[in-house]
Amino acid sequence: MFFTLPRMNKIVRALNILALVLLLINIIVVFFYAPTERTMGNVQRIFYFHVGTAWVGAIAFFVALVAGVLYLRKPQVKWDTLGLSSVEIGLVFLTITTAAGSVWGRPAWNTWWLWSPRLTLITIAWLVYAAYFMLRGAVEDAEKRGRFAAIYVIISFITIIMAYVSIRVLRDIHPVVFGGTAESAQGAAEGLQEFEGGLESMRMGLTLMMSTITFTVIYLAWLFNRMRLQYLKDEVDSLKIRVVNRLQGGGA
Amino acid sequence: MSEQSVSPSLPGAPSFFTAVKAIVWKDLRIEQHTRQTLSLMVMYSLVTVVMFNFALEANLAAARDVANGLLWATILLAGTLGLHRSLALEQDNRAIDAILIAPIDRRVIYAAKVISVTLFTFLLEIILVFMFVVFFNKPFWQPPVLFILALGTIGYVAAGVVITSMAIQTRAREVLLPILLFPIVLPLILPAAIAVAEYMTGQPEMSRVTSTVSLVLAYDLLILAAGFIAYPYVVES
Repeated sequence: MFFTLPRMNKIVRALNILALVLLLINIIVVFFYAPTERTMGNVQRIFYFHVGTAWVGAIAFFVALVAGVLYLRKPQVKWDTLGLSSVEIGLVFLTITTAAGSVWGRPAWNTWWLWSPRLTLITIAWLVYAAYFMLRGAVEDAEKRGRFAAIYVIISFITIIMAYVSIRVLRDIHPVVFGGTAESAQGAAEGLQEFEGGLESMRMGLTLMMSTITFTVIYLAWLFNRMRLQYLKDEVDSLKIRVVNRLQGGGA
Repeated sequence: MSEQSVSPSLPGAPSFFTAVKAIVWKDLRIEQHTRQTLSLMVMYSLVTVVMFNFALEANLAAARDVANGLLWATILLAGTLGLHRSLALEQDNRAIDAILIAPIDRRVIYAAKVISVTLFTFLLEIILVFMFVVFFNKPFWQPPVLFILALGTIGYVAAGVVITSMAIQTRAREVLLPILLFPIVLPLILPAAIAVAEYMTGQPEMSRVTSTVSLVLAYDLLILAAGFIAYPYVVES
């Protein structure tokens, strides 16, 4: 399987090309196929990237959770590598989501940032997964590092669950009051409620679906490449140790 | 998982609750003799509150507005001291090894540590609530507020015991603790603080904050479940 191969494999290579092609098509679709939204104008196109990357972020952290559980059941390096790679990529996608949202927020809310529960919880999730690397960096022993990373990644996923659930619950208590533009944008974020019926809505839906598929493929390609890189790194490390041992043995 | 936890059915092994009670009792006895954990936590809280007053420039109106958030922040900060002391104590004299050899399930240790640190934090909160009522003249003593505080504390400590047990086994030790622990518990503190704020503004009715409090409860259950499953792996040696 891909999980154990240090060398470039045919499937990974094909996935790389597919990801690139899909990305190009997706950009064309977002800018030329998707209709211009009525109230927001072209700014609304950011949403296809925002929602697509947010989706992939959640998937990546879920994969990391599964890898963590598998590692605890059976401590194998491949599960640790899968978890590490997935968290790393998830963090990148989460950053893209936040940056895209912020760029959109500037014209929509007239500010780059707001401390609403939703935005706060996403910031917290970012911090939680950034701290994952601090934990890894502080443990020298490889077995212990894998074990602690697996435990941490399982507990961290509660943040993601809470972020999704809180948004549903807290919204009733804290209604978003930023004027009309934000409401339409919020509708767009939550399944395009604003654009019901007609061709316009369908084309937006299709574009969103296209974006989601594209980013999922990019994630998979990236994941396999990242894992391959980690295996190469591990291989180099073990080779280094062998060389050192050989040299020491020769000197004595 | 069964390979990690020692079977409690060994001859002479205590039952789950007897073992939990024994460890909690031990922690309370140590505290009774040294009185170190609680006094550290209280002193630290006092220093924190005084420090925040600099930021507020002795403006009582502003202080009253932020008192709720300040209370939670103080509990979080002082809580790390309680967690660290209670768990590092075992590490220092390698007492943890003795507990690990004992014929008890490792989840017993988790349950016992959550209970004893929660008790210390409750004691701290009683003192803090009194202080905040005096300093900020806000009715923090109302039972629903205390109830939300208690729920928040349980979730915080449940996460804290797992994270602290890991942090003290790393190179960075306690330096790592706030970086790992605070982000993990913020999704709990956020709804808890919102619930207290909501309750204290306008009509004091519990029904208005039920959905927010249910978020706190959901976090508590999730983290306790995760803690029970994960803790045996944390202390594996």
